[in-house]
Amino acid sequence: MKNQNNDVWVGILDKTNDPQLEEMASKEFYELPVVDALSDEKFVEQSSTNRRDFLKYLGFGLGAATLAASCEIPVKKAIPYVVKPDEIVPGVATYYASSFVKGGDYCSVLVKTREGRPIKIEGNPTSKVTKGGTSARAQAVVLDLYNTERFKSPIVMGEEKGTATTWDDLDKTIASKINPASTIRIVTNTILSPTTKKAIADFTAKYPNTQVVTYDPISSAAILLANEASFGDKVIPDYHFDKAQFVMSFGADFLGTWISPVEYSTDWVKTRKIKDVHHAKMSRLVVAESGMSLTGSNADNRILIKPSEQGQAILYLCGKLGGGTSGKVNDKAAAALDAIAKELQAAQGKALVVSNSNDKNVQIVVNKINELLGSYGNTITFGNASLQRQGVDSEVQTLIGEMNSGSIDAVFVMGGANPAYDLPNSDKFKEAFAKVTTKVSFAGVIDETTAMCNYVAPNNHLLESWGDAQPKRGEYSLIQPTINLLYDTRESEMSLLKWAGSGVKSYYDYLKQNWEATLFPSQSNYATFQAFWDNALHDGAISVPVSEGELAFGADVATAAGSIKSASSAEVEIDFCESVNIGNGQYADNPWLQEMPDPVMRTVWGNYLAINIAFDGDNNYATFKGMNQDSKGHTDIAKFATAKGDATLPVVPVFGQMPNTVQAGLGYGREAITSTGQNTGVNLYPMLSINSDGLTQYWAEVSSVEKAGVEDEFACVQYHHTMGVTGTLEGSEEVINVDERILGHKGYQGSLTNRTILRTSHVGEVEDFVHDLQHEREHHQYLNSKTLYPDYSGLYGMGHHWGMHIDLNACTGCAACTVACMAENNVPVVGKREVHRHHEMTWLRIDRYFYGDVNNPNVVYQPLMCQHCDNAPCENVCPVAATNHSSEGLNQMTYNRCIGTRYCANNCPFKVRRFNWLDYTTADLWPANQFSINGEELPFGADNLTRMVLNPDVTVRSRGVIEKCSFCVQRIQEGKLLAKREGRKLKDNDVKTACQTACPTGAIVFGDANNKSGELHKALESPLNYILLEEINVRSSVTYSAKVHNRNTELDA
Amino acid sequence: MSAVVSPLREPLVKGGKTYHQITEDLCSPTERAPSPAWIAAFIVAISFLAFGLFSIVWTIWVGIGSWDLNRTIGWGWDITNFVWWVGIGHAGTLISAILLLFRQKWRTGVNRAAEAMTIFAVICAALFPGIHMGRIWLAFFIFPYPNTRGPLWVNFNSPLLWDVFAISTYFTVSVLFWYTGLVPDFATIRDRAKGFRRRFYNTLSFGWTGSAKHWQRWEALSLVLAGLATPLVLSVHTIVSFDFATSIIPGWHTTIFPPYFVAGAIFSGFAMVQTLMLITRKILKIEEYITLAHIESMNKVILLTGTIVGVAYLTELFIAWYSGYVYEQFAFYNRAVGIYWWSYFGMMSCNVLAPQFFWSKKLRRNIMFTFFMSIFINIGMWFERFVIIVSTLARDYLPSAWSYYVPTWVEIGIYLGTFGIFFTFYLIFVRIAPVVAIAEIKSILKSAGDQYTGKGAQKHTHEEQH
Repeated sequence: MKNQNNDVWVGILDKTNDPQLEEMASKEFYELPVVDALSDEKFVEQSSTNRRDFLKYLGFGLGAATLAASCEIPVKKAIPYVVKPDEIVPGVATYYASSFVKGGDYCSVLVKTREGRPIKIEGNPTSKVTKGGTSARAQAVVLDLYNTERFKSPIVMGEEKGTATTWDDLDKTIASKINPASTIRIVTNTILSPTTKKAIADFTAKYPNTQVVTYDPISSAAILLANEASFGDKVIPDYHFDKAQFVMSFGADFLGTWISPVEYSTDWVKTRKIKDVHHAKMSRLVVAESGMSLTGSNADNRILIKPSEQGQAILYLCGKLGGGTSGKVNDKAAAALDAIAKELQAAQGKALVVSNSNDKNVQIVVNKINELLGSYGNTITFGNASLQRQGVDSEVQTLIGEMNSGSIDAVFVMGGANPAYDLPNSDKFKEAFAKVTTKVSFAGVIDETTAMCNYVAPNNHLLESWGDAQPKRGEYSLIQPTINLLYDTRESEMSLLKWAGSGVKSYYDYLKQNWEATLFPSQSNYATFQAFWDNALHDGAISVPVSEGELAFGADVATAAGSIKSASSAEVEIDFCESVNIGNGQYADNPWLQEMPDPVMRTVWGNYLAINIAFDGDNNYATFKGMNQDSKGHTDIAKFATAKGDATLPVVPVFGQMPNTVQAGLGYGREAITSTGQNTGVNLYPMLSINSDGLTQYWAEVSSVEKAGVEDEFACVQYHHTMGVTGTLEGSEEVINVDERILGHKGYQGSLTNRTILRTSHVGEVEDFVHDLQHEREHHQYLNSKTLYPDYSGLYGMGHHWGMHIDLNACTGCAACTVACMAENNVPVVGKREVHRHHEMTWLRIDRYFYGDVNNPNVVYQPLMCQHCDNAPCENVCPVAATNHSSEGLNQMTYNRCIGTRYCANNCPFKVRRFNWLDYTTADLWPANQFSINGEELPFGADNLTRMVLNPDVTVRSRGVIEKCSFCVQRIQEGKLLAKREGRKLKDNDVKTACQTACPTGAIVFGDANNKSGELHKALESPLNYILLEEINVRSSVTYSAKVHNRNTELDA
Repeated sequence: MSAVVSPLREPLVKGGKTYHQITEDLCSPTERAPSPAWIAAFIVAISFLAFGLFSIVWTIWVGIGSWDLNRTIGWGWDITNFVWWVGIGHAGTLISAILLLFRQKWRTGVNRAAEAMTIFAVICAALFPGIHMGRIWLAFFIFPYPNTRGPLWVNFNSPLLWDVFAISTYFTVSVLFWYTGLVPDFATIRDRAKGFRRRFYNTLSFGWTGSAKHWQRWEALSLVLAGLATPLVLSVHTIVSFDFATSIIPGWHTTIFPPYFVAGAIFSGFAMVQTLMLITRKILKIEEYITLAHIESMNKVILLTGTIVGVAYLTELFIAWYSGYVYEQFAFYNRAVGIYWWSYFGMMSCNVLAPQFFWSKKLRRNIMFTFFMSIFINIGMWFERFVIIVSTLARDYLPSAWSYYVPTWVEIGIYLGTFGIFFTFYLIFVRIAPVVAIAEIKSILKSAGDQYTGKGAQKHTHEEQH
């Protein structure tokens, strides 16, 4: 090749048109030694390998290869879609609007599915009930779907696990067992679905002797009955916590467990956020209770009354408000109630009084109080009355009598009802239930009642079903399947319809027909049913207009007041409460919820006895009868006796627990339950009593409490209680800071209270507080400006800079974010023993601190995750640079690179880094190390089915690496890609972290701090903001807004 | 011995030894059959080693979860033992290098054993940074080697990486120094041996002939290595202290750490030398080479460094109070009276109070007292590291994360295992090499002229001297 252009040359040979170069350039393969060698005859002749040898080698090689290849190698098939479904794009999540319903618990949700499998629950903002909020229970429902121990087909129960059968056989068997003359009872918890009710009605039409027995284990029957007596409407009214300036709750844990906590939290918090520090206003919340509930811990004031005193306290308050009643309560509470009566009267029309009492008469007096305060029509209405508790406990008591008399032919158990476990007299129920010949359960997993049934007709899981829900009058939502049936199950409604001989092909058709017949006519927005249906399915929740009826209070208060019992004279009383995480026991088989720490006690995997911490005026806490929880992973076990038996539970001393009262959670100690739920806690339902109206009472007199050993596996994630509680020194009037004396010395400088962790203020002092806070922060920032290191804030001011704002005033501590984080980020479940060893893996924890009066403190909940420090101490200490900083301000963790020195975790001032101590995810090299939570044969998470819940966007971490909050970096990436695809700048709403979307109160705001128009930027301007440990100059990207309370100190006197 | 014994200065070698006697005394332990005591000790040591190995395999197999460390306390016995062993490994080099440069001739009695101890202690120490990793099979990530991952480099900001360099350098120089000293002595043994032993020691002595050129080069190399090792004595524990000092945890974040750690290291190193030498001189009957004067000299070093450490402890407390910084104040208050108060008490009483007895000459020269004191100091220095690491981490910034820690059997097993490693190596060492440097100790024999037996030599007998 001749160089055509001498202006361009490669080396001197090129320039001189060297012939050798031309030859080289003209041949594609200039030097081919093999070819040269083979073409050299001499070489071939000299070679020792002849043709025969070549053939021998070839033959052997071929044979060996064939032999090796014929060994069986497992074939894994990946079959692509022949026709790709429109809604499935690999790698892109699809969201379906649906509803979370379990008994009366309700939440309107969006189900996130990836490649056809539901992996995450998000709140549905279109719902007028839950308004986009979720609860921990709703978040955890996806895990239930993949429970490997669900019923896989209809079962004929017998020995052991029973025998599997087919639906046809089961239908035939049931048909042979019942006839139109049969007396049938359907036992259920609250049913929210109007279509289920219609199916039951259709069934009843065929079998006229059928009755539905509805009860709720944690009952609100007294409210239903009191409203029937007061207004002739047997319903839970619509409480408007957002309109109340003063909320007085007698034991009702409306932020945690009572009726509709997501809805109430969302509403209540609206009155608690500080928008303008110069004219700070907020509502007041007073809770009268014995043990610290979630609502009590959020209250401005708590009035300590024994459980048996509640009726008297309500009578007392009613009397003070001019209701003509009188009650006798302890002196301190009486004084406080006097003051509260004045406050309530001042808040006329904007007050709200609620009670969790399950005594009809008490609830009538509560209604009277609300009537006196003008709450009806303002803070309480009946138009959108709640249907979330419909059960009346006395019905199930009647059923026990009927079953005993032998008049019942068949009992169907549906709606999650488990009376063999959760009735106060479950032993009597079991005895009577055993006498019924045909017992059918619709439960999807084993429970105590199902274990006693003859047949199991397993219901689909919620996420596999069609369905609907009517949480409130006028509020409807749909449930739609998000995955094909995993097992051979069937909607329980369909079973009923089949047995009723209905010709309905599918429950979907039935549901649609019902909506067309009932709901479509009651609205006017859509002309065709299809449009209406499509829209309802798209939105998930719809509202139809309701009429606000005129209601007149017509109850006989005097009679009711007369039948309220006086307080018990027993020395000690126990209060039984529903736990925030596992409810009345129906969530006890969900590992995520079991591992979610109790918001107040911070314990997991079991129930604990909350006892009082008596502050003896010095550095010691003289606890209940000498029992204490030391901070070394042990606690005492208490044995306590009630009239209905005794129990032993480990104790947790809790500030704010009334002296001489104890409290323990219900729902634990399930016996017939899937394996992860076994051996967790003690069943306390048998200790409950039933009053003369047949209603369950959730407290008992305790005849003795004594120490009965030591719990060595005390699974509590937070040992230390307080952040500046004050008490009076014994023998003097001097008020001291208890934490300053925690080590036994007075006036010690290095107290806990001076740490930049919590900042709290009274609402009336916010302006002064803000002034002090600004001054403090300026001082810290001044100190930080003296650093010798270069300042990179200019760099972080460019592009995105991710940050978070957490409003401590809005956080109620409900822990929906904790469970959402576990679901989103594949955080492993580690079990009780590992939590006891402080090996919990939660990326987001909620610290709980008490402050204020040592005997009656306030509480702050502080959600804490990786602070994504711009000057992160973890980053510079890693020897292999496995954790580093992104240009967008994220503190990144590179699992592949991590060798597990744990130096980063040691050097983290917030202790948010989590180490994979053992093979929690069953991803280890050695299967021998797979990790069982509860001694199961197959470790939790090892089954491919359970693994379907994993988020494919998030790496599953193996043993020996550190992990931590990533600010949901996968969501950031998704948002950025979306913006890029749409050719625009990233908007504020494109990225929301899992904790943020889960929060029912909007306490968490995530965003780009450099986006001046964004929500985060606005939140960062609040003068109440502060940064944890700002003086150590780690430059957190998470900002907290101070807790403001509205305590009335007059009540403490 | 005819030489004039100074009334002020004790002879460094007692018993009027001749050169031949020195050779006999020091070579004989390697030549005779092992004593029953040695065999018993070896069995115990090897059992500990076996249990330690089992515990290490257990850790790697099951995971760090077989230890009871937790989310708050990420380091416990592992790093405590690491720092403790590194500290112990300081006396050898100090004696060999710094005392050589300072021309402290008494060092020749103890330097060989002290250097061996250094090497074995550093081996024990180096074990812990390895096995405390969650994924030890990826431990090679900590070396800055060329790679195709970007290339992904190590983090030169991390004190853990500095540790890697510091410890490996220290180990290499210590081994070279120790072995250099051994070469002429191996040749001495070789010259006395026959058969396989002769070939064995011939190899070990690199064909040493004892020519003047050999000695000249040997002297030069010793000095060069001493010069190299001297800064290392200071740097290694300084860098180990950086593991803590460069962090932001109150109680760790302290500028006093480097000098305080170095002093503490020499303190604990000398205590360990005392413990070992007191036993060795008795068993091997070499009391005349490792004399009371040696013991007293080392006790003086212990007194000095112990007092420096004590001053450091008090300075920490003062600075914590004086800083007005709540976190720092709490950290030190918590050390003294918090949940781990007993470890602080152990540290203070063993490290600060106990050595003060050495102001008394009588006690300095009391062998039993010195022995118990050396044990106390070893315990105290272990507590010091435990206090710094565990009691600090257990109570850091956020009270919500506070925790408690006690070791599992696996952690205790690994610690016992390091004793097994240490003593197994040491016991093998005393059977193979002379525990006192023969060549060096001969150089300090004062009676060189007296032992001249040639023409015109004065005739003396030992009896005359005594």
